[in-house]
Amino acid sequence: MRSRVPGLVAVTVALGLTGFVATAQTQTPSAGARTPATAKRPVPRTPWGDPDLQGVWDYRTITPLERNRELGTREFYTEEEKKALEARAGRRMDGPPEEVRPGLNHAQYWTDPGRFVSDGYRTSLIIDPPDGRIPALTAEGRARQGRAPNRNNAVNASWLDRGDQERCITYGLPSASLPTLYNNNIRIVQAPGTAVIVHEMIHEARVVPLDGRPRLNDNVRAWIGDTRGHWEGDTLVVETTNFNGKHSYRGSTTGLHLTERYTRVDDGRLELRLTVSDPTTWEKPWTVLLPMRPTEGQLLLEYACHEANLSMVNILEVARDAEKAGAKGQAPSKPEPVDDRQER
Amino acid sequence: MDRARVVLVTVIVALSVSSSLRAHHSFAAEFDANQPVTLKGTVVKMDWVNPHTWIHLDVKNPDGTVTRWMIEGGTPNTLVRRGFTKKSLEAGTEITIEGYRAKNGANRANGADMILPGGKRLFLGSSGTGAPKEGPPEK
Repeated sequence: MRSRVPGLVAVTVALGLTGFVATAQTQTPSAGARTPATAKRPVPRTPWGDPDLQGVWDYRTITPLERNRELGTREFYTEEEKKALEARAGRRMDGPPEEVRPGLNHAQYWTDPGRFVSDGYRTSLIIDPPDGRIPALTAEGRARQGRAPNRNNAVNASWLDRGDQERCITYGLPSASLPTLYNNNIRIVQAPGTAVIVHEMIHEARVVPLDGRPRLNDNVRAWIGDTRGHWEGDTLVVETTNFNGKHSYRGSTTGLHLTERYTRVDDGRLELRLTVSDPTTWEKPWTVLLPMRPTEGQLLLEYACHEANLSMVNILEVARDAEKAGAKGQAPSKPEPVDDRQER
Repeated sequence: MDRARVVLVTVIVALSVSSSLRAHHSFAAEFDANQPVTLKGTVVKMDWVNPHTWIHLDVKNPDGTVTRWMIEGGTPNTLVRRGFTKKSLEAGTEITIEGYRAKNGANRANGADMILPGGKRLFLGSSGTGAPKEGPPEK
């Protein structure tokens, strides 16, 4: 029988042997692990003299945002731990599921979470506080969480009951800057006086004025806030405030303040140091270190999320059918919870 | 088991448990993990659309009639990056999908595995289990 899947022949043969798609192997471990953010070679510059950070950058990693408590303040895995974790991540990317769990085997062929530990050996993306974890909630933050609408009781009466990412509004910040199951890429474009950061997830484009213009009035609020940037040496510093608070990150409010510091490091990587603060939510700010490397092919692919968001229609249809079943005395299927606060 | 080995195992298990990666949308609001389905049929077309691809599959029933199913897959971005292109699954291809049916019994499913002619398997699983702590399939 003639194969109608020529593009997959090599793929599936490889699957049966040792590896998988060649393009999936392109993420290479960082050679300069544990290196400080200081350039050893001259930083490339734009024609107008700014450090040139342009390109498409890949930040996939298997290192979790928060360190496991068992590791305490240990910043780095041992060589043995790193190898074991990366081998396991490679098996997940390339081979059959280690265990069949209904509904859980989604992160295989059609996801792209990465296969390497961040910065060589790091046990968490959070580098401050020293325990590698998001600081405790303030008393106000805890009280607010207690008052938050419990979406676990949502009946999916409308799309408004579903999360912002499902509605294709935004993946939110800082979520869009942190590794997730796929679309772990950003593009940076620069012009004199302006930079643009494009997040592949839900194709968010953030325009960053670098010309010293004043921040917007406090009354002007946006889903992804208002952003201003400036240079500190060869580092692009991006400050974002004026969030509208409709998309909460783990309980954050309109007081969310993000400081991103983008620096080219010596082996071609771009390093992001992201500091997150919201004094009404967390007891202190916390900082993420996220090295990035050039994305294979320098392609940022369009993720026009609402192009065919059939899932939203289907979810609401399922909810209506469950209601009808309930009206007929049949056991309705339980409404599904959604909780944006759990996003990373 | 020596101490180093114990620590290593602990680290790996703990890393898995703590993961909180999210896909774009919920699996469980739409599909039923208790309704696994196996669908053998002919590919009609594959919609390469965001945020998730959909395979249209004509499945022949025992009585000779044909039912068209829609199978949800991953995002096009990821497929392309992992070597699965528009030419990878052409109309007319006979495949078997193992997945999970829509909660309301509609002819839609979330693809878990795809079995290609010749028996090769791909692992399609697309959108995960949903909130609140959707995670990758790690132990």
